[in-house]
Amino acid sequence: MKKSTFCIPILFCVITLVSLGNAFAQALDISSGGAPTISGAKSGSVTGSSSVLNDLIVTINFGEISPSNTNSIVKVTVPIAIRSNQQYQVLATVIGATNANAQALQRTDIGFGVNNFRSMGANARVCINSSHIFYSPFSNDPASNVTINGAGRATYPSTLNNAVSATPILSGPRLSNGNNSRQTNDGYIFDAIFAITPQFFAVGVTSATITFTISAGPNAPC
Amino acid sequence: MALCVTAFFVAAVSAQTTTGTVTMSATVSKYVEINSGGAVTLTGNSGGGVTTDGTLNNPLAVVINLGELGPANINSFVTANVPLKLRSNAAYVLSLAATVTSTAVTANRVIAADIGFGMGAVTRTGVGVNAAGTDTNNTSGDPTLAANGAVNAGTGRFEFVTPRSNLSAFSASTTALSGSFIMNAVPRSNANGLTVPAIFAVKPQFYENGSTTVVATFTVTAP
Repeated sequence: MKKSTFCIPILFCVITLVSLGNAFAQALDISSGGAPTISGAKSGSVTGSSSVLNDLIVTINFGEISPSNTNSIVKVTVPIAIRSNQQYQVLATVIGATNANAQALQRTDIGFGVNNFRSMGANARVCINSSHIFYSPFSNDPASNVTINGAGRATYPSTLNNAVSATPILSGPRLSNGNNSRQTNDGYIFDAIFAITPQFFAVGVTSATITFTISAGPNAPC
Repeated sequence: MALCVTAFFVAAVSAQTTTGTVTMSATVSKYVEINSGGAVTLTGNSGGGVTTDGTLNNPLAVVINLGELGPANINSFVTANVPLKLRSNAAYVLSLAATVTSTAVTANRVIAADIGFGMGAVTRTGVGVNAAGTDTNNTSGDPTLAANGAVNAGTGRFEFVTPRSNLSAFSASTTALSGSFIMNAVPRSNANGLTVPAIFAVKPQFYENGSTTVVATFTVTAP
């Protein structure tokens, strides 16, 4: 009788754990890749979790971007961690940052690129049959590739305007070993970089949100 | 059972998600600046000179010696042309406040009304400049123009007679020039802007002996 009473909770526990294992079997996951950083800002800031176990929720305040900011560029680097047990792709979708005044800040004035793909650690899956690929035109550091167009305005190889609809920025083979939930060493990290050159923009406040989505990707055998 | 509960807790903390967001904002405030538009031109002087010249795109800090203003100077005017460079991302107002002091003491000394002043022709050219912008000159222009001055028939003294054509109108900060935004969305490193000469002129006359000092302070704002 005692043995039976003891076995029932154990059985329940096992069943529960098996269920959890299925529920959190690592399929596709995106999270913070570490603390975001900002440079060149005047009264600007960036907030986000430094833990790769936390969700990716970052708030950037570029601060003052009129010429009263005498820095050549305001640059924000946002590390993003991704995990999967299958081939994947990362999409970017931008909303906001639209202004009717052509001299005001536009999506094309916010440089956006990705680079620095790197392993999180021992449980990052190493695949030899496919590569992780940054999609054109996003594979760049916009802060290091500023050019001036014929109108005298700063431009970048890629901007938020290149991601107004769900746009692939990265894809590749399986990212993680095992089938566990989010760990500190079971995927890869890349940097999303945002840059604005202070200019004689028309006066105003501009906001935008970019959503990164990881989903099943194109064929990429591991 | 305790182990089971713990396992559940850990799994719940590290739940997965397929989306992440980056929300961003940026602010553009009104911005205006005034700098030198280049070298000063001084004409009609006798023994004068430019002590500290203007340097293009550097802060405006010009010092001019107008030289002899008595009848020993036989030129019709001593004229100093001081180029200004303005830049803004919003409508601007350029104001002038001037003080005139003299070691002489009588009514025949050089006074503010004897120093002609006006803003010259405005130029909005170059890549990144809002060439379609408009400007309003609140002075009467070049003070040496015939329409701006004449000998007073009653006193015989030459006077600058048109509105805001001499420094007596600028004893307190007064608008000299205003206009629409100057620069399109271009970086600060773009060196173009609005250029306009500030013109000062004095008619040599039988002034009382003495030394006169004029301090003219230009201020640009974006109201």
